Amino acid sequence: MGASATTVSGGRSALERSPLSRLPDQLLQWILTALAAAILVLIGYFFVRLIGQSSTSINHFGFSFVFGNNWDAAHNIFHALPLVVGTLVTSAIALLLGVPVAIAAALFLTEICPRRVRGPLAIVVDLLAAVPSVVWGLWGVFVLAPKLLPAEKWFASTFSFIPWLGGGTVNLYNYFIAGLVLAIMILPIVSAIAREVISTVPSQDKEASLALGATRWEMIRMAVLPYSRSGITGGAMLGLGRAIGETIAVVLLIGSNPILGKHLFSPGYSLAAVIANEFGEAANEPIHKSALFEAGLVLFILTLLINIAARWFVSRGTHGKRVAGGAMTGVMLEET
Amino acid sequence: MSAARMSLSTLPAVSPRRRRTDRIMRGLLVLATAVALVPLVLVIYYLLKKGLSSWTSGGFFSSDPNGNFFGNPGGIRSAIFGSLEIVGLATAIAVPIGIAVALYLTEYGRESRFADVVRYFVDVMTGVPSIVFGLFIYIVLVIAKVGGAFTGWKASLAVALLMLPIVVRSAEVVLLLVPSSLREAALALGAPRWRVIARVVLPTSVSGLTTGSLLAVARGMGETAPLLFTVSTAFALTGNLSHQMNTLPVQIYTDIQSPRNAIEARAWGAGLTLVALVLIFNLIARLISSRSRMA
Amino acid sequence: MRPTRMGAIALAVAGSVAIAACGSSSKNTSSGGSGSGSSASGTINGAGSTFAAPIYQQWGSTLKGQSLTVNYSAVGSGTGVADLQTATADFAGDDGQLKAADRSGMKGPVLQFPVAFGAITVSYNLPGVKSGLKLDGPTIANIFSGKIKTWNDPAIKALNPGVSLPSTSITVAHRSDSSGTTEGFTTYLSDVSPSWKSSIGADKIVKWPTGTGGKGNSGVAAIVKQTQGAVGYVEQAYAIENGFTYASVKNSAGKYIAPSLPATSAAAVGVSVPADLGISTLNSANPAAYPIASQTFIDVYKDVCKDGGASSGTAKALKSFLSYAFGAGQATLGSGGSQIPYAPLTSALKAKDNAQLSQLACNGSTVS
Repeated sequence: MGASATTVSGGRSALERSPLSRLPDQLLQWILTALAAAILVLIGYFFVRLIGQSSTSINHFGFSFVFGNNWDAAHNIFHALPLVVGTLVTSAIALLLGVPVAIAAALFLTEICPRRVRGPLAIVVDLLAAVPSVVWGLWGVFVLAPKLLPAEKWFASTFSFIPWLGGGTVNLYNYFIAGLVLAIMILPIVSAIAREVISTVPSQDKEASLALGATRWEMIRMAVLPYSRSGITGGAMLGLGRAIGETIAVVLLIGSNPILGKHLFSPGYSLAAVIANEFGEAANEPIHKSALFEAGLVLFILTLLINIAARWFVSRGTHGKRVAGGAMTGVMLEET
Repeated sequence: MSAARMSLSTLPAVSPRRRRTDRIMRGLLVLATAVALVPLVLVIYYLLKKGLSSWTSGGFFSSDPNGNFFGNPGGIRSAIFGSLEIVGLATAIAVPIGIAVALYLTEYGRESRFADVVRYFVDVMTGVPSIVFGLFIYIVLVIAKVGGAFTGWKASLAVALLMLPIVVRSAEVVLLLVPSSLREAALALGAPRWRVIARVVLPTSVSGLTTGSLLAVARGMGETAPLLFTVSTAFALTGNLSHQMNTLPVQIYTDIQSPRNAIEARAWGAGLTLVALVLIFNLIARLISSRSRMA
Repeated sequence: MRPTRMGAIALAVAGSVAIAACGSSSKNTSSGGSGSGSSASGTINGAGSTFAAPIYQQWGSTLKGQSLTVNYSAVGSGTGVADLQTATADFAGDDGQLKAADRSGMKGPVLQFPVAFGAITVSYNLPGVKSGLKLDGPTIANIFSGKIKTWNDPAIKALNPGVSLPSTSITVAHRSDSSGTTEGFTTYLSDVSPSWKSSIGADKIVKWPTGTGGKGNSGVAAIVKQTQGAVGYVEQAYAIENGFTYASVKNSAGKYIAPSLPATSAAAVGVSVPADLGISTLNSANPAAYPIASQTFIDVYKDVCKDGGASSGTAKALKSFLSYAFGAGQATLGSGGSQIPYAPLTSALKAKDNAQLSQLACNGSTVS
């Protein structure tokens, strides 16, 4: 009786599945695996093609592409130091201005803010990320740059004794204003990751320090910050990666001058900005085209390395707990 | 009893200096948060102040930019439609593939080293600048003149590439939330894997998947650089994705660089439109997410 | 559940718009050349010079009424020539004469047609200083190379004894993209300043020693408009549109000439016309001419179908457009109230253009 209940035709147990019925499963697994692998193949393929397109320029200019200071399209000399420096300078300004504010805001939201206000306020801070970069450029060009010009002029003349930071003619579009808008753009990313990281601090550590009589700030200083240092560094590096790759806001605000700017308020250029401005013309001149692709390659490698380092810091900083895609994709997906 | 009373009363009081430091630092933290919010407030203020007048001017949404050197420069109709079409196609590409990859990572890749590598590189892809995706499609499809030079569908591919990591990561988070007891129960009843996915896993996570997709769409709508290299620009409204098309971000980018007051006004109006669209997608995503958590 | 449905609907709407777009064909197809007679219908795509963009965009607007769609992307002369080389555009707008290097990159022989003339103004933003500041070639070269840094520099003062000049520092505005206007301006500067010629040279894109870059004539105009103390080279239509003040420049006969349409037309009088119609009106010898007057060309493939990949319908539309350009279109150029502020072709040049236009072919046979 038991046997007849569990066997079907062919003597198979009813619980065993026929090879044919396993086919859809295997097909599905194969398709899904292929798609996942395709991502890796895509990244590799892109690398190969980009290197291919840059090869003329790499062979022609060698290391002086990165270290030479002469981006001269008229004479077909493409040494990108002014671009690399411009990229790094604006990103450094973005970090210096943006990271402290982002961490402070994160600390406020997680440690000090009253619980009821916390949610909505966090959403508002995250909304900064929703503003597209072209809109930041729009606001920067027509509002921020002209309004800050008098203050920049005052700063340059008052602090003219400081080399590079002060002095020089203040241009409407310069390293500083580009860096400032970049700072605003990286703020939400750094803040979101900082919040994630800070929330993994074990409450025992915090409560212990409070129980020992520490003030709120002392608790933050002694229990929260040391614990989160690594993760916050990772968050700052992700912000750096974003700043380095940002194209539109920078090309509108940096001044598009392929010369190494001598002061904070001088116009300059960046790798992404030069690609956006000159790529149309590049089809005319094979070397120019190749040089622009090489600029793109440098940019790609820079952002890859920074991102890889950043993720290492973040994973160390969250001490094993997986930072759910939340910080990158929208904090609201995380489990509260 | 005296011991207890003693231990409480002999805890050292917080010194005034420490209390002051505490208050100052907490004040600074509040200030910093306010500073972080100032740009957002300002940008929305100026968008409304300068963009609303464009919205209410005649023909802003019903006419295309006309390239007239003098007089009315036209509206942004072709830009809005172009953006919706290109991002629409990009979503149709990125969402299924992204969810499929996330399914792979959650259903088949929990222990696998290969899955770890894929997950790692998807993570890294979220940090790749959008200009790089534009360059990729430019090299592979535009320069090679595959099916025309600048076309709308190539822009969709570039935007899909940029949306993909967001969809994968958010979908993975959501799929992992499906209780394994549900999966195991279905499997124990003899359902094949594909059935479990189709009938149990996906339906349970549909609101989270939608949320993640909408966030990716919001991001895709706002990016300019990939569009510059793949679809260039156009004036007239065209529904044909094999042609050059106009898009909101590129329209704004071009208009910013004009000295004409009428065109600057159009830029603000278009900027307000773009932010409104992005915010709508964000808001719907949040609504879905919060509702599903309450349910 | 409702927000999820809303979300799904949002996605579906976006998706269906995309699908509907795929399915529908654009009303303006390039292959719809069923028109008879002189006005063919169809779409042609041009790209290039921002110098001449106001002309082509206005003509495009006018011709739409005659069911001829002209899409013109003002991306700069360099990109325009590049687009013609890859046959991405049907015609290129280029302010400079086609060089041998340009021609060798083309898919076949290219016809070059002068279209109009415009003045490259030296526009400045100096409240209190009216239009007509006198500048000569070497001084302009020194300003744009950064050697002269403030407006009250002795060199500028010497040329303008009665004018009170502020001590504002000079911000140079130049092009960040590849431009025929740059080519014209730097050609003029190379002619008048040997040090400019040796250090910077003349080209569509040069390494400016100082200043801020803007995209297109509009971008440079925007910088001039927004920055006090700025000086930039912009085509006159843009300067007029924005109410700029601009300099009177010393020409080769020693006179200070303000950019005006008569002075621009004067530059075209007596210009030598080579066989490929590659004229140059810069630094004209004519005493009444504005020295920085530039011509602008339309370049097309001689055999638009074979080399340019155009359909026969597009070829007809192109010929239609060009006939208009060298015919009725010329009447839209001038200083009248409703005219576009460019100097039209001389009748001799118009005749030469129309004669060359008869060479336009489609797969070997002349386009009708």
